[in-house]
Amino acid sequence: MSVPIIAARDVSKSFFGNRVLREVSIELRAGRIHALLGENGAGKSTLINLLSGALPPDEGSIEVDGAAVDHFTPSEARRAGVAVVQQELSLTSQLSIGENIGLGAYPIRFGLVDYKALARRTRAACAMVGLDEDLATSVGDLPLGRRQMVEIAKALYREPRALILDEPTSSLSAHETQTLTRLLERLRAQGVAILYISHRLNEVMALCDYVTILKDGAVTADRELAGVDADGLVRLMVGRDPGDLFPKWTPNVEGKTIISVRGFSCGMARDIDLDLRRGEVFGVGGLVGQGQEDLILGLYGARSASARVAEFNGDSGVPDSVLKANALGLAYVPADRKREGLHLIHTISFNMLLPGYGRARGLTFRDRTNERDLARSLAGALSIKGDLTRPVQALSGGNQQKVALAKWMPNKPAIWLLNDPTRGVDVETKREIYGLLRGFAAEGAAVLLSSSDTPELVHLCDRVAVMREGRIVARIEQAELSEEAIVAAAMGANLAERAA
Amino acid sequence: MSGSDPVLSPSPLYWPVQRQRNRGVRALFCVVAAFVAIYAYLFPGLLSIGGLSKFCQSWFPLALVSMAQAILMLTGGINLAIGATVSLGAVIAATTMSGPLGAPGAIAAVAFAGLGIGAICGLIVVRLRLPAIIVTLAGSFIIGGMALLVLPRPGGEIPAWFSDFLAGGTPVAALLLALIVLAWKLYLATPLGLSLYAAGENPVAAYRSGVPVDAARIAAYAISGLLSTGAGLYVAAQTGSGDPVIGQAFTLNSIAAAVLGGVGFLGGHGTMRGAIAGSLLLSVMVNVMFFLGFPPVAQYVAQGLIIIGAVALPQIGARGRRA
Repeated sequence: MSVPIIAARDVSKSFFGNRVLREVSIELRAGRIHALLGENGAGKSTLINLLSGALPPDEGSIEVDGAAVDHFTPSEARRAGVAVVQQELSLTSQLSIGENIGLGAYPIRFGLVDYKALARRTRAACAMVGLDEDLATSVGDLPLGRRQMVEIAKALYREPRALILDEPTSSLSAHETQTLTRLLERLRAQGVAILYISHRLNEVMALCDYVTILKDGAVTADRELAGVDADGLVRLMVGRDPGDLFPKWTPNVEGKTIISVRGFSCGMARDIDLDLRRGEVFGVGGLVGQGQEDLILGLYGARSASARVAEFNGDSGVPDSVLKANALGLAYVPADRKREGLHLIHTISFNMLLPGYGRARGLTFRDRTNERDLARSLAGALSIKGDLTRPVQALSGGNQQKVALAKWMPNKPAIWLLNDPTRGVDVETKREIYGLLRGFAAEGAAVLLSSSDTPELVHLCDRVAVMREGRIVARIEQAELSEEAIVAAAMGANLAERAA
Repeated sequence: MSGSDPVLSPSPLYWPVQRQRNRGVRALFCVVAAFVAIYAYLFPGLLSIGGLSKFCQSWFPLALVSMAQAILMLTGGINLAIGATVSLGAVIAATTMSGPLGAPGAIAAVAFAGLGIGAICGLIVVRLRLPAIIVTLAGSFIIGGMALLVLPRPGGEIPAWFSDFLAGGTPVAALLLALIVLAWKLYLATPLGLSLYAAGENPVAAYRSGVPVDAARIAAYAISGLLSTGAGLYVAAQTGSGDPVIGQAFTLNSIAAAVLGGVGFLGGHGTMRGAIAGSLLLSVMVNVMFFLGFPPVAQYVAQGLIIIGAVALPQIGARGRRA
């Protein structure tokens, strides 16, 4: 068997002590379409970054044509013939299609960009992906799907030996996807090594020859695709031992409906019907970026939203401002706590008391003693130790998240909206947060939890709605909750999908 | 030049790209043309060689500093040292012009100072990853101080022939501007020049695509400095002497012109032709208001309102389209 064009050997990578890849090996061979599968956060993007030189591995090595390369950088990767189609677009909107495709590798004549050669070469790349737009069109004028095709043409322009595509079809139409499929089959025939990351299992089944599956940063499968079915792939991606991470699930007393919306739309979230009851933890699952954040921000009044019918805690209509939402008993804990949830350079107690400042004291002076006692009791309840006058950024990620939760607790919210509250949080804090959430529900609050962590949804929620492309595509009751069911619905695989 | 030169001969891609870039500034060009027409109506003297020369002379330094500002805004930065750099250019010109090396020496000194100061600012911003607004603000104090050190009081001397050549009754300024615009077009046709847009809009993606992001940004600072001291040289020629604080007003006016011309603050958005048109609009506007008998205070207020309007209109338009 020939040597792989590019390979990773036993690579490991950690970010801030958090191990995202553990002794992972992968080989990209000529003439093979290789699928890389895994849930959100399984380490796929990190692996791509290692293979393209954007990040160095902590341990292990990257091999080009069978020889290990120290200091594998992006320019080294380009020389080795590795091209990446990134998930987030890397185009310059003011430049034309042609200028974007050639960016960083322009043909030059007399020190100037040789537009004639550029036009010739970019036209060839565009023809391969079926882009028939005028090359002079500004990329900013193109719809998202066409930009993705430009991005692919940009990779092809560099005539790669190994082509890595990170979810290339997520913004493509059916027709464009078909064009891409045919192109990849042609490249395979020409002997290009292709690494294909996708969340669409049927695409993977139809196109790929070989599969590597990552779970929690480790390889769970590295084999020919022939002989595995979609069910089998899903099983290899999920299913870890929950241990005693989660509180034992016991049903709470079923309470009154506190939020009820019909035909709710906000940003990407479209036409959503939702009933949230007191005493339940309602999960929202799905792949990252399927409209979950828009749904939550819309309910919270932070983003303009509309609904045919809406009732919030006895009030009709969607709240049109955060203050209104707060007054109705809503609290919001964001995924990006550093940007949306906390004032990092201010003290822990300042952050904890922030939502209460406006209400508590009216027009009189601040009551320092009262504030101090309140902050202390919150810190005690959440076991945040140490001096509360330290800036909140001095805390670990997990403790920061606890502060972001704690600040709402004095208000006794009737409805908690949480967006991925355990992202980047250590296991111990996760356990505490899970306990808190079940506790809120037991006390009669309604908790809406959006999460990219599937086990969380399975073990914590009374019901889960799965979102895909802005809509709820499945609703799963507690008795039927399983990681397989959620992942299958999120990926649109037609196994175990349950109608609403 | 050979027949396949990408700039001087039609190419299947170059000219269509240029036409695309014109699209965004077409409305601005119409407004500028309308203002020029009003100006010509109010002041028919504009339509003579002498009148045109005079007007171009009053506009030329603003056009240069607007370009200097626009380059940096395209990289996602801003230059608050333009005024001070103009002053420095003026005093260097006024003190070296009558020296042993004469006019060529003075021009070389001015150019060298501009490129050097710009490159140093650029190095500080890019290498130390400091915000451009802070570095150029600090730079404006340092450069302004240097100008006062070179020439504490207005003085120095520009030979009369030099002043006559640049700022006499001939449209030399218009010719110079045409040459500078051509040079800019050539620069933008180099890989480094074109990279400016990519480096300004999305530096990480540009870096990953193999664009020399740091070099493109430092070069932009150097060019910005060169254009600013060049404007200073011209101002010195106009007044016949050097003044260490003559450039002050140019800083804010250059930002105003670039903004009028549709250059965005976030980098990668806007065109040089827009910035130049913006500076022309600003110059004509001032003259038109003068001829309409606006008191000076009203001129400032009107100028401010027009700038806000120019920035707000496209925003409101975009919101309307989205809704």
